[in-house]
Amino acid sequence: MSDPAIILDSLEKWFPPALSGWRGFLQPFAPPTSPALRGISLEVKQGEAVALLGANGAGKTTLLRILGTLLLPTRGAASLAGHDTAREPTAVRRQIGYHAGSDLGFYARLTGRQNLQFFGRLNHLSDEFSASRIKTLGERFRLGRDLDRQARTLSSGTIQRLSLLRALIHQPKVLLLDEPTRSLDAIAAADFRHFLKTEVLARKDTSLLFASHTMQEIELLADRVAILDEGKLLAFDTPTALRARTLSTSLEEAFARLTGRHPYSAGEPTPE
Amino acid sequence: MRQILRDIFLFFQRDLRIASTYRSPFILEAVEALFGAAMFYYVAQFVDSPALREALPQGKTYFAYSLAGFVFFDYLNAALDTFDRSLQEARDTGTLEPLLVTQVSLPVILIGSAFYPFAATTLRIAVYLGWAAVLFDFPLRAANWLAVLAVLLATLLAFAGLGVLSAAYLLLFKRGNPAKWFILGVSSVAGGMLFPVSILPPWLQVVAHLNPVTYAMDAMRGALLDGAGIASIGRPLLLLLAFAAVLLPSSIVIFSWSLRRTKITGTLTHR
Repeated sequence: MSDPAIILDSLEKWFPPALSGWRGFLQPFAPPTSPALRGISLEVKQGEAVALLGANGAGKTTLLRILGTLLLPTRGAASLAGHDTAREPTAVRRQIGYHAGSDLGFYARLTGRQNLQFFGRLNHLSDEFSASRIKTLGERFRLGRDLDRQARTLSSGTIQRLSLLRALIHQPKVLLLDEPTRSLDAIAAADFRHFLKTEVLARKDTSLLFASHTMQEIELLADRVAILDEGKLLAFDTPTALRARTLSTSLEEAFARLTGRHPYSAGEPTPE
Repeated sequence: MRQILRDIFLFFQRDLRIASTYRSPFILEAVEALFGAAMFYYVAQFVDSPALREALPQGKTYFAYSLAGFVFFDYLNAALDTFDRSLQEARDTGTLEPLLVTQVSLPVILIGSAFYPFAATTLRIAVYLGWAAVLFDFPLRAANWLAVLAVLLATLLAFAGLGVLSAAYLLLFKRGNPAKWFILGVSSVAGGMLFPVSILPPWLQVVAHLNPVTYAMDAMRGALLDGAGIASIGRPLLLLLAFAAVLLPSSIVIFSWSLRRTKITGTLTHR
């Protein structure tokens, strides 16, 4: 049996409080007091798709950023493709494709293609390979002529598709996607989910860990769902098992029952 | 090592490509340099006197003395300013996070991002000196270019350490480094940019003699205006290299610590 793609072992992340004014100078030395992740342990198998589901502030982005080597855990460990994210960040980055939910940064005066070529080179891809991937994925994501327009002239949805293409260009072993379809229109979002399902996950050689608030997306893509609430892992199972365990008819209902959050059905009793 | 050099070149290529999308600034900068050189020439004409020439260390015209000081200061400014500016730009444009998940480390990103500004500063200085030589008889023919290059490289190495410290400060505190402005401010008075340090009050002369910029400036004027060879500017060169030997490694250690700290506090990409 192959090793897990991602292992989280009692992972904790605490942040210091935000200090302002002259106390801002103490910020780098302030002790961490706010928990963002509390003792998260889970494994993502190779080729598996796992969704992170939780309210805002549940810790989804923090978790993805630790795996993306942008944050260091306070306690516990996170490893990706056998490499510890804190001790071997370069080896980890070799394995990942990362799409941030915010800051889809591109150089405004460069075209989409020039931006992608630049990031491809920073991932040590050959120009031929980059060009071929940009062509294939550009067609798949219907980027067409937008690839050759300056990034400053592109819509937010197009920038989002470019950012997803950037995460995929080097064929990473592990995809870390934070709300991948947030700025996409309904058709582009459906198209991207279909692409992930049929052309990335179907090959079973790429693992996917993604944060999403879209239940339809989670139902379609995720083999298992990790439900987070205030930094704690409440449940980690298949969507079917989560529904059965909570006597729910939908994943949304299961989420509401597990977290005690009731967006549409306030007052409905939760199972003991 | 080859891969690191290749990565550094990628950033230069990126910045060159971005700069080439702006056409007029090249022309505007050349025009600005023309007016700048003219301004130094006419100010020098206004203040020039036999007594002033006597007071200048190299016995040259005030025009040559002040313009050499000014262009060198431009270089110093680039060395101090480039690292934190490139970091700030990456953070403000949102490109820092995508850069940090590539296979290139942040120190390489910073060094790579510094190359184009240094090249642009070199070009701007060349244009300044070109105008000054062609139109105002700046004594370029006397220059020992090998020695000029040696001084520039030693200066870059010496002050890049302060630039890296400045970037570390920006990482930690999210704002510009006041120490950088202090150094530039002190050096503009007690560094011999526009006037010899011998005219300063004694206590400021002490400051000037403790300031490595003074030695670098003297070495640069010696190489550029007097054609001094590397041997004759060996002392200030060694001093600059000693400064670099202490400051560069310590600034890299402090930068690495700051980077780790921001990954702990979660403020790495905060603005």
